[in-house]
Amino acid sequence: MKLPALSRFTIVGAILALMAALIPVQMVRIQTNVDARDKSDWFDQNFGYEERTLLPERGNIYDRWGNLLAGNREVYEIGVALNEVQSPETIARDLAAVLGADYAGVLSAASTEYVKDEIEYIALIDFVDADSVAKLAELQKQYNELPPARRGQENPSLLGLHWTAHLHRSYPENELGSNVIGFVPYLDRSNNSGLYGVEQYYDTMMAGTPLEVVIAVNPTNVQEIPNVQPGDSLILTIDREIQSKMETIIDAAVADTGSDSGTIIVMNPETGEILAMATTPRLNINEYWNYGEIFTGTTPFNRAISQTIEPGSTFKVITMAAALDSGAVVPSDTYYDDGWEEVGGINIHNWDYTIWNDQDMTGCMRHSINTCLVWIAKQMGPTRFYEYLLRFGIGHRTNVDLYGEQTWPLSLPGDPDWYQVNLGTNAFGQGLAVTPIQLITAISAVANDGTMMAPHILQAYIRNGRQYDVEPMPIGSPISAETAHTLSEMLAVSLEEEASKALVEGYRISGKTGTADIPEGDGWSEYTNASFIGWGPTDDPKFIVYVWLEKPKSDRWGSVLAAPVFQQAVEQLVVLMDLPPDSVRLQLK
Amino acid sequence: MAQNLIQAYRQAPWRTQLQWIGLFLLGLVGVVLVAGLWLSITAQATSAGVEIQNLEYEREDIQREIADLKTQYAYLTSAAVMEARAEAMGYVTADMTQAVYVIVPGYIGRQPEILALPITLEVEESNIIKPSYTQSLWDILFRARLWQGTTQP
Repeated sequence: MKLPALSRFTIVGAILALMAALIPVQMVRIQTNVDARDKSDWFDQNFGYEERTLLPERGNIYDRWGNLLAGNREVYEIGVALNEVQSPETIARDLAAVLGADYAGVLSAASTEYVKDEIEYIALIDFVDADSVAKLAELQKQYNELPPARRGQENPSLLGLHWTAHLHRSYPENELGSNVIGFVPYLDRSNNSGLYGVEQYYDTMMAGTPLEVVIAVNPTNVQEIPNVQPGDSLILTIDREIQSKMETIIDAAVADTGSDSGTIIVMNPETGEILAMATTPRLNINEYWNYGEIFTGTTPFNRAISQTIEPGSTFKVITMAAALDSGAVVPSDTYYDDGWEEVGGINIHNWDYTIWNDQDMTGCMRHSINTCLVWIAKQMGPTRFYEYLLRFGIGHRTNVDLYGEQTWPLSLPGDPDWYQVNLGTNAFGQGLAVTPIQLITAISAVANDGTMMAPHILQAYIRNGRQYDVEPMPIGSPISAETAHTLSEMLAVSLEEEASKALVEGYRISGKTGTADIPEGDGWSEYTNASFIGWGPTDDPKFIVYVWLEKPKSDRWGSVLAAPVFQQAVEQLVVLMDLPPDSVRLQLK
Repeated sequence: MAQNLIQAYRQAPWRTQLQWIGLFLLGLVGVVLVAGLWLSITAQATSAGVEIQNLEYEREDIQREIADLKTQYAYLTSAAVMEARAEAMGYVTADMTQAVYVIVPGYIGRQPEILALPITLEVEESNIIKPSYTQSLWDILFRARLWQGTTQP
């Protein structure tokens, strides 16, 4: 039977309508089908996202003028994705040729069988420079452009070889300021913490905060990758040029005098800013793995903050400051020196057994008369004397912002290790111990109207693109401004009358030499600690410099060895700090 | 007679069917147009997404490169290198006796370096990717419906 034409139309129309209707039905079914949704979710979870740890760039370190002292270099880790490797031989051969890698080792690694979720990727070499990676990329490109290999033959291929960029710490100045900067042992990528110096002290700030993020791989789910903020950058108070000169000077002094070590600290007494801190030995911090060869035994990384020494006669500045401030003596007071002074039942002599007869207080400082300072301490009495030492911060850390500051506890009356004789020996800087940073901080009060400023190395820091300045902070006023001026003047006159080797032509300087015996076993070493501390210009000090030579062999006296080093240092300083001679400066006032 | 008149003006059945088919096809074309538009927008969004991903990776590369170049520059201008270059050019280290001090009115001396914005200047944080790149058609429709719901009395 033949169907009517309209009926065929109806059937075709119905089929088309049904097919069209099935499309949205199928769409809805797929969208709502539990299995399909589960599969879609599973796919999304396993392949739609990746977890990444975004490591912030470690903050830079600059000197006070913006010269980079510690930055970051880009290097690459090279490894193989085992499921992609086509020619382990090519990988081994090219890595050996370009990077000098061990052929057999690389071949073995690249030939490792791929095991999903267990052995998928093997890192071969790390810290590869960009030039070498560029060579590998060029080889890979050449291999990719080769015509297909004939049957039975195999083209060379670097497929499966991957390189991933990362940053590592780098120090453009190498040794310069290494004792202040510290270092990051970057070869251990699992632990990028700083060691010593500001690298350790400000490690948390500079390291920044890593971000754990889940990032959509599916581009239809695109989302913004958070911009991980780099760690804080530090701007130090150090002046690169001054630091460089001080290191040159102290290295030469150590070599000339045969000293075990040398230290120079340059500080601005008005702010506590450390302009330079040069010690020996130093390390090229780009090759920090040589640490053990350079710092043998108990050698500290930074003697200026970590080594306590008996300061000797430089400490007389503190004793005299305390005596003048307390009113125990006045500059014109006369002391009659007959060669010895008794304290706690023990007779104390002068360093060269000279008898100086009548001396005023300036004479006592000029000739560095031990007996005079013992007498002064006796005039003050132990209570007042030690009260002043505590005011000067002796026996306490300065809290300078460098890792590893040490201190030696000050024995006080009543302590089991304090004896009457300590009052006498402490007065001229023996029987107690300080670090160089403690001594310069304490004596900076005399150079700064009686106020000690907190010694610090951080001038400013940069966080999230903003610069935050660190304000100088006073940490105490152990003496009055009047006492400070009086003592500064006495010490300037003292140097001038002595015709000290520390004097600098055109600039009035105040200062004091030091020659300290070194306790060794039950007795004393045949060597000394030779030192000098001075500041200038006397009427408006802009710098205070401490020089210390440990166990010099060419001579034993601070006045002979350390004073000329101070002079050299100041001659460089006045140029680098743009300090005109007093005659010019006073004309400008 | 009346029945005859009705029959006389009745639409031919095949014409009615064609009208229905036409209407259906019109609807289908409409659906196809919407689907095509949706596909086009989705493809563009995906393409933009891929580009964004690439740009984000590129940004990371550039940040590393900037850090590297800064450090390379510091190596080239380190104290030792600059001193050696100066000496090679015939300069010598200034001696304090050779220094000449000139009074420059208004000069306040060398000032510390400012390496970043001072804290007083605020920079507004903003989202780099616009919402239109991350919203689905459903989001747009749903938001429009919500907007209608909030604006209708």
